[in-house]
Amino acid sequence: MTIHRVWVFIEQQGGRAHPVSWELLAVANDLAKQLKTKIGSANDTVSVECVLLGNNIPALARDAISFGAERVYLVEHPVFEQYMNAPYCKNVTALAKKYTPTVFLIGATNLGRDLAGAVATSLETGLTADCTDIVVDEVDRVDHPLLLATRPAFGGNILATIVCRERLPQMASVRPRVFPVPPKSDNAVGEVISEKAVIDFRDRRVEILERIQIDRQGINLEYADIIVSGGRGLGDASGFKMLQELADVLGGKVGATRPCVDAGWIAYEHQVGQTGKTVRPKLYIAAGISGALQHKVGAQNADFIIAINKDPHAPIFDIADMGIVGDLYEVIPEMIAQVRQQKESELL
Amino acid sequence: MFHAVVAIKQVPDTTNIRIDSETGNLVRAGVPAIMNPYDAHALAAAVEWKRRLGGRVTILSMGPPSFAASIREGIELGADRGILISARQFSGADTLATSYVLAKAIEKIHSEEPVSVIFFGKQAIDGDTAQVGPGVSVRLDVPVITYCSKIQQIDCEHNEIVVQRKAENYTETIRAALPVLLTCEKEVSKIPFASLPDLVRSLRYEPEIWGYEGPMELERDKVGSKGSPTIVFKTATPPQSEAGELIYCDAVGVANAVKMVLKKSEFKAAIKLAE
Amino acid sequence: MIKKTASMNHQLSFDAVVVGAGLAGCATAITMAKEGLKVAIVERGQRPGSKNYFGGALYTHAIAEILPDYMEWKPPFERAVTEAGFWFLSQNGLTKMTVQGGYLDKAPADAFITLRSKFDVWWADQAQRLGAFLIPKTTVVDLLRGNDGRVQGIKTDREDGVIHSPIVIICEGVNNLLTQRVGLISHDLEPSRVALGIKQLISLPADIINSRFGLQSEAHGLAVSVLGDVSLGLPGMGFVYTGKNNLSIGLGVNLDVLAEYRLKPYEVLKRYLEHPIIKPLIKDGQLLEYGAHLIPEGGWTDLPVLQTNGVLVAGDAAAMVNALHWEGTNMAMVAGRIAGETAVLAHTKNDFTSKTLSEYSRRLEDEFLLKDLRQYRGFSKFLETHPQFMDVYPSFMNDAMGLWFSAFGKPKKQLFKEIFQSLTKRRSVFHAAADMISMAKAVMGW
Repeated sequence: MTIHRVWVFIEQQGGRAHPVSWELLAVANDLAKQLKTKIGSANDTVSVECVLLGNNIPALARDAISFGAERVYLVEHPVFEQYMNAPYCKNVTALAKKYTPTVFLIGATNLGRDLAGAVATSLETGLTADCTDIVVDEVDRVDHPLLLATRPAFGGNILATIVCRERLPQMASVRPRVFPVPPKSDNAVGEVISEKAVIDFRDRRVEILERIQIDRQGINLEYADIIVSGGRGLGDASGFKMLQELADVLGGKVGATRPCVDAGWIAYEHQVGQTGKTVRPKLYIAAGISGALQHKVGAQNADFIIAINKDPHAPIFDIADMGIVGDLYEVIPEMIAQVRQQKESELL
Repeated sequence: MFHAVVAIKQVPDTTNIRIDSETGNLVRAGVPAIMNPYDAHALAAAVEWKRRLGGRVTILSMGPPSFAASIREGIELGADRGILISARQFSGADTLATSYVLAKAIEKIHSEEPVSVIFFGKQAIDGDTAQVGPGVSVRLDVPVITYCSKIQQIDCEHNEIVVQRKAENYTETIRAALPVLLTCEKEVSKIPFASLPDLVRSLRYEPEIWGYEGPMELERDKVGSKGSPTIVFKTATPPQSEAGELIYCDAVGVANAVKMVLKKSEFKAAIKLAE
Repeated sequence: MIKKTASMNHQLSFDAVVVGAGLAGCATAITMAKEGLKVAIVERGQRPGSKNYFGGALYTHAIAEILPDYMEWKPPFERAVTEAGFWFLSQNGLTKMTVQGGYLDKAPADAFITLRSKFDVWWADQAQRLGAFLIPKTTVVDLLRGNDGRVQGIKTDREDGVIHSPIVIICEGVNNLLTQRVGLISHDLEPSRVALGIKQLISLPADIINSRFGLQSEAHGLAVSVLGDVSLGLPGMGFVYTGKNNLSIGLGVNLDVLAEYRLKPYEVLKRYLEHPIIKPLIKDGQLLEYGAHLIPEGGWTDLPVLQTNGVLVAGDAAAMVNALHWEGTNMAMVAGRIAGETAVLAHTKNDFTSKTLSEYSRRLEDEFLLKDLRQYRGFSKFLETHPQFMDVYPSFMNDAMGLWFSAFGKPKKQLFKEIFQSLTKRRSVFHAAADMISMAKAVMGW
């Protein structure tokens, strides 16, 4: 009997899980469903499992189960308190060698990207980065079902679907906010397996001297519900002040396109797009943005997109639910005024 | 002595790539090939430290013969030696096969001239995977520090390096024993404007070519497409979405245009949610 | 801390240094390299051509004089100019006057429509093939002089950026900063004598270009100068050039006009492209790129001193342009060739003083170049002082032709009366005649 394990790496920092881990659990469960219909033998099963490294984090293991894990491999040790590549890579690799998962998903965060490539190479297997879609192949090849992982390439101009042949686990990394967070189920049942940490004294070759947390209060775009974004059409950095005003009045955050960040008009943390953040707000206002594909990739999952641009042929209008052809320096102040007015008169 | 090895890649300038609206294919004509910007900054950092400490910088790149232009650009930016790793057998390599070949090359270089620091850019702007640097570090059993934003100190005598690393919500200062592999952000160093002698030298420079037969000893089933577990199954252009309604300020006036937006239920719903 | 650079042990030294790898620069480099001189070309752009932009067409006589076997090296031309002429555009009309066949039916053609981003690279490749050494991404900022004031080479904007050479040929293009610095000309560009050429390069399938412009095949091409309602009634000239599967369409307008009327170049171009007669020409085309470049139009008035000890200047840097006849690129190449030959002579005599180098301007006198510049010295000013050539006469011509071809059933005496009136309501006969004489003077150089 073979157990096809679908693994998700739970990323945590200071005892708090990164939401991408839960998003991936949803993907894992979806893949598990597809796998169940593909496996040949009736004796084979599919199991959705998590790998969790940290120190004093049993609550997280329970959370993992509530978000859909059937089993959690928990490795606890002080060495995992602060993320470092070597101990994490060694332990995740050891677990993967022990349990031979079929699929292994990791969030494509800063940490995830630091870890995934190292793990994949240690396991001599294939890794597809920044996937936007993962499905199980329709036709059976070799003796295990194959994943088809789709990712944007060439700055988002092409969608490439990648297959990892012959090697296991088939690894994929996924950016935050590409998939939705699944519902939490407090009476979910699952098991937690404690594994022993592998400690290598040579890991002391690298030492963290100091770690400074950055307050990202204003800038956590990926989970913002309302984003007002600016592009090159703003003309210069001062345009962002106006957009911030609109964002404030709407209760949202400010985003930007890559050219604005490259020009130094605004910090990289605000960048939406292929090499910036993928966002899924309820409302996305794109002002002075032409809509190059690299930006569209980051913004197109928004529920409602309003675009403002002088050029009626701007590609951004292709993904906008509503477009205003006009001067953003006239439209935005008008919008600020009207929203303020409506809020004051409590019509909204 | 300080000896840095910098891995570079030549990439199409992806900010200028278009899709042919008829065929749906990438239009590569007229798109300039450039040194991957992150690699250029990593190289600039290596050269900056070479100039401070004395020593040498070797660059290497795995790719077709056209990559020689980027090797030359690397010499222009201050590298001393440039190696182009090129052979038919290496084509079709995914990140696993690439890290294998690069690791073997660096091993060979190290055997001739011990390497202190291996520099990579944080990612290539065409693949965007950020996998090869960490992959090479695993194969060489050398610690990796990704997203380096600043190199504070390199001490070759005591074999130590101190760098700053940028994560999403923290920055950290890390000390590591040499040799170490760094993947770098752009801020790690400024691209220098080469002196005329350096530029002229680069124009006349012929990269060393390392192939499949030597000087590295390579296993056939680990290079190129043979050594690549991942392959591209298919490619497609992103689907074009349906355009929504377009309101012209010229026609209805700015105030009315905005009114129409505010009337939309989705807009109202979104605002309510934030309160 | 000692920084060891190559220059500690080696000096960069050549028989000649050329400033600029454009049409004049590579022409002179090819000429000198062919005679065995060790030549360096210093180009400030990323690659040759990256700082150049034009309409436009190149004239094969100039290329053949430098590289007789040029066709064997497969120059990247677009279409041959098999049809050329003038279009007279008014607000709602167009009269086309073009010629094809006859003198234009040659093989190879006298002129080829070209894209500079491709051609300049090829032209520089020819120079390198013959042994010239191209140094890109580097700007020459000054001459290097010895204590005796003699030219010893050039200084660039790079560290240790000196190149030694007994002779420097300046082909730096319209922004002739070095030419000014050296003292060959005493003033900077004068806005009333410099035009800005602006165009769009539009992609269109070859067969659409063929049918839209009445061309038989991809081997046939059209080059026209558009006069009239091109630049909002202000002095300017438009152009259309058919490439293989692309169209270059744009216009030139003087800088002082742009400044005085506070016009943005792209707006002027847009207005031109939206003209009801011009717009259908670019329908369904995909914009590949748009750009602009300055064109020196002062000609004779702005001609610098062409040589001094150790220095020659050629091309746009020396204002060698005849706007009416669209000649500038060939002047650049011819001047480059003659400068190169003069440099070879100077090496043979080992004399780089202006005594030997004045052979350059002597020989240019024998060519069409200086003769034409002298002849057309009044032309640019003429258009400015005679704006009626932009609006009145093209409109009149369109009216006249229009009336003629809609006079079916009308007594022809009445037709001629109407035509006459359509002139006189715009311009009196006396003034019209005076205009024609002034035009003749400006063109003939009297």
